[in-house]
Amino acid sequence: MKIFLSFLALTLPMTGAIASDVALESTVLVERSEQMPDGTVSMTLEEPARVVPGDNLLFVLDYHNEGAEPAENFRVVNPLPDAVAFRDTNDAGAEFSVDGGEHWGALSALTITGEDGAVRPATNEDVTHVRWILDRAIPAGGEGRITFRGTVR
Amino acid sequence: MTHMTKLLLSASGLSIAVLGVQPAFAAGTTAGSSITNTVTVEFQVGGVDQTDVTASDTFVVDRKINTSVAEQGNVTTTVAPNQQDAVTAFNVTNSSNDVVDINLAATNSAAAHGGTDNFDVSGFQIYLDDGDGSYDSGDTLITYLDEMAEDETRLVFVIADIPNGRATGDVAGIRLTGTVREGGAVSSLGAAITESSSNDAAVEDTVFADADGTFDGISFDNDDYTVAAAALSAVKISEVLATGYPIAGATEYFNIPGATVQYCIAVTNASGGADATGVTITDTVPADTTFVGGSILIGGSYDDNGTPGDTSDDSCSGGSAGGSFDGTDVTAPLGTVSAGTTEVVTFRATID
Repeated sequence: MKIFLSFLALTLPMTGAIASDVALESTVLVERSEQMPDGTVSMTLEEPARVVPGDNLLFVLDYHNEGAEPAENFRVVNPLPDAVAFRDTNDAGAEFSVDGGEHWGALSALTITGEDGAVRPATNEDVTHVRWILDRAIPAGGEGRITFRGTVR
Repeated sequence: MTHMTKLLLSASGLSIAVLGVQPAFAAGTTAGSSITNTVTVEFQVGGVDQTDVTASDTFVVDRKINTSVAEQGNVTTTVAPNQQDAVTAFNVTNSSNDVVDINLAATNSAAAHGGTDNFDVSGFQIYLDDGDGSYDSGDTLITYLDEMAEDETRLVFVIADIPNGRATGDVAGIRLTGTVREGGAVSSLGAAITESSSNDAAVEDTVFADADGTFDGISFDNDDYTVAAAALSAVKISEVLATGYPIAGATEYFNIPGATVQYCIAVTNASGGADATGVTITDTVPADTTFVGGSILIGGSYDDNGTPGDTSDDSCSGGSAGGSFDGTDVTAPLGTVSAGTTEVVTFRATID
């Protein structure tokens, strides 16, 4: 009986989530560049079947408002996995955090205080979270895509 | 329904998977680590907060096999002909994101620092440094490096024997080759590694990531030995001295009984080679002469009278007492004869 109860406790919060009207999908792809015989570089995106440190990753976040009402104050938060260093994003409006999500801002406005007290400008390597705050509502049926790139540490 | 599946993943596995990721090494995230990316969307409908939506995606970091072998320093090792256990040093690094063994092999090869390889060395042995950075008795004879951690570098010494009879400027190139093998078993060389034929986001595959562009888990570097030989030559001249000449008032001196003869031996080490150390001159006092006790002089000067190659007008002078006479032979220790210098020994004998 106890087992059954705990199972309920696990499933209940998700029931609420499923009831929400926004669908979200996160996909990771590996970016490969290959030097072609004519000297040009060919970029391909692959499933992350074979991934080793140093590989470039493309994170794709697809959202879709499946509800009948506009979704407002839409904000997307993506903590970076420890093993991934941030590289760049397609959205110039992205905000960054280098302290686990406590403080946010443009990367150029953030600093890192070292163990010796020295303060230096934050770099891509320091990013712990990225977020995007959409300045417009997502209409019913509306969808969009946000991408950012990282490197496997 | 895809997003529902994603939701389940994020609710059950998210935080655990992220915690399992090791701190970043230069060799990179440890093989087998899962990387889970989770994204959360917060939004409102009609001004009312809705439940956050999350989605995540997970893949496993594959095993990257890479090693580097690099000569320590970038200069040749100067050796003497017939030198035993001549030492070269290499740093071997495990650049894989996993613990591996590295099998080692030393071979003759091309020259590494200019010049042309023109002889081979023999008796290769490989020693693991004991931590003091120099080849000595504390080092361990090995054939492979055991259980190399990610990013670990170990210093090894390759020693070899130089054949006799090599001349100054001769070069013997050598190569140390490291081949990555499976780790995990202490004190035994692991099996050979092959690249995975499988290719699965959820499985740790094995991938060769050699920096040299040949994807085989093998790295090597060359070094070389350059011979600096000592090229010794000796000249021996003699002259009859006026001192003690048996005919009073003579102005010309002949090799007649009772006359004193001064022998002079000049040892020259050609320039451009190595210093010759421990040089000792041994010369038999000629028959029908009697050695003059205490007459051995070492360190005098040799005068070729401006005509190198013509010894008929050469002479010796000076020097300090030394050496010994055992009744047959004169022995004179010269010590070191530096390249490009001449050391001189003189002694006297009377004609019987």
